[in-house]
Amino acid sequence: MLPVLFVGPAIALMTGLMSNIAAMETEMNAWYLLLQYMILPYALLFLPLMAGVLSGLICRYEHQAGGWKQFLSLPVTRGSVFTVKYLLLIATVFAIQLLFLGAVYLAGTVKEIADPFPMMIIWKSVLGGWIAIFPLVALQLWMSMFWKNFAAPFAVNVIFTLPSILAVNSETFGPYYPWGQPFLMMYTGGASESVFYVPWDQVLTVVGGSLVVFFAAGWTYFQRKSV
Amino acid sequence: MGYVIQTNHLVKQFGQEKAVDNISLAIPEGEVYGFLGPNGAGKTTTIRMLLGLMTSTSGSIHIFNQDLNKERIDILKHVGSLVENPSYYPHLTAEENLEVFRKVYGVPKSRIREVLGVVRLSDVAGKKVKAFSLGMKQRLGIAIALLHQPKLLILDEPTNGLDPSGIIEIRHLIKRLPDEFGMTVLISSHLLSEIDQIATSVGIISEGKMIFQDSIENLREHAQQNVVLRVSDSIAASQALLVRGVDAKNQDGRVYLHENSDDHVSQAIRMLVQDGYAVYRAEEEKRSLEDIFLAMTKGHAS
Repeated sequence: MLPVLFVGPAIALMTGLMSNIAAMETEMNAWYLLLQYMILPYALLFLPLMAGVLSGLICRYEHQAGGWKQFLSLPVTRGSVFTVKYLLLIATVFAIQLLFLGAVYLAGTVKEIADPFPMMIIWKSVLGGWIAIFPLVALQLWMSMFWKNFAAPFAVNVIFTLPSILAVNSETFGPYYPWGQPFLMMYTGGASESVFYVPWDQVLTVVGGSLVVFFAAGWTYFQRKSV
Repeated sequence: MGYVIQTNHLVKQFGQEKAVDNISLAIPEGEVYGFLGPNGAGKTTTIRMLLGLMTSTSGSIHIFNQDLNKERIDILKHVGSLVENPSYYPHLTAEENLEVFRKVYGVPKSRIREVLGVVRLSDVAGKKVKAFSLGMKQRLGIAIALLHQPKLLILDEPTNGLDPSGIIEIRHLIKRLPDEFGMTVLISSHLLSEIDQIATSVGIISEGKMIFQDSIENLREHAQQNVVLRVSDSIAASQALLVRGVDAKNQDGRVYLHENSDDHVSQAIRMLVQDGYAVYRAEEEKRSLEDIFLAMTKGHAS
């Protein structure tokens, strides 16, 4: 499980190191520039994809050797099993976000950025990206419980994640596409007067709404699942 | 004495097919209940419903006189189970596997050593389970089921994949449980001989229907085996025996003796030899489970 945690931050680190921010003539704090470079592949692709891989892994041991039936014969409610797995997943994604934060700092130090480190704004981005992942993890957990096979839920994840590259470029469609939210909420170019980089209504309706739908559907499915 | 498990007209339907059709189990406390039926008869489906792993289409389940739908968690605290193939975490050792379940049950750590001893896995406690043989995995499954000293133990085909000495070991273990620990055991099998040696009461299921449920003694009467003689002239020979008052029947060129005690058989053979019939074979008729089913279903129909 451990290597999966490092994939996203490692890719971000590489992008950061390869970027040529010194060559850019700008008034901006160089940390922002670096962050924008690093967020692109990370938040758009690798964070959602790795969150899906983690969901697959957290159900894999139960799928492998009849673990579900043994596990669910214990005096535990299915609701608590689902919720605990979900909480574990989002805690792990938070760890990934912290690793990303470390990667940003490391890349900046290597690049010898002289500007002050904009702690507050980077935290906003890290927390925002984390929250935007909540509904995606809920969907992936549901899919991973549904399919014994590891590849099927991953395919679902890829199918929804790839279009977010297009979606985030669209003014009209982007704000409503759940898979685009991690990028939008991490991207420091957004409306920064708010707590996050996207407006509150977008956080509540798109992220919150899809979280409720995916979590409730997964939870209900798991309640009835025959094992 | 109460019933530990009681189901009332339990039905599980998959599409058009009824995998479990109107089953009313009644398992008295302190018994080893043999749940017998051919593969695909609905044994595992029934057991899954008993554990709440699958919902029933209709009917009710009461365990310890509590409704499974309402008090599932409370019931499961006192139930140990092994369903179908053993379940385990392959990347963990036997001890770590048990530790996972121990934490949920909240029993003392010493129980792990104890149950490993009971199923004789103490020597391999630190080995990863993926390296285990099927028999060892099966025994680990039984260890998990015994961990919290349940009042009810549900074992689905527990001797599957075990070698003969393993089967005997498990059999002895299961026999001990009701007396030593006050457990009630539900054990399913497709082998009559298996059930015959450990069970005190029996339920037989076929194509999802319960066709027999009673004590093992009553089953033995149903399963009574004939002795078959192959002789030179079966028609004349069986008549000769009948004349002398031996309950014999001629069928398919063989003589069937209903009384199968040693005395009766030797007497019958002596008569035949004295009368000049050649006796080629004297053997016990192997009555398979299927035959007994047939005999029983016939009995029910008439």
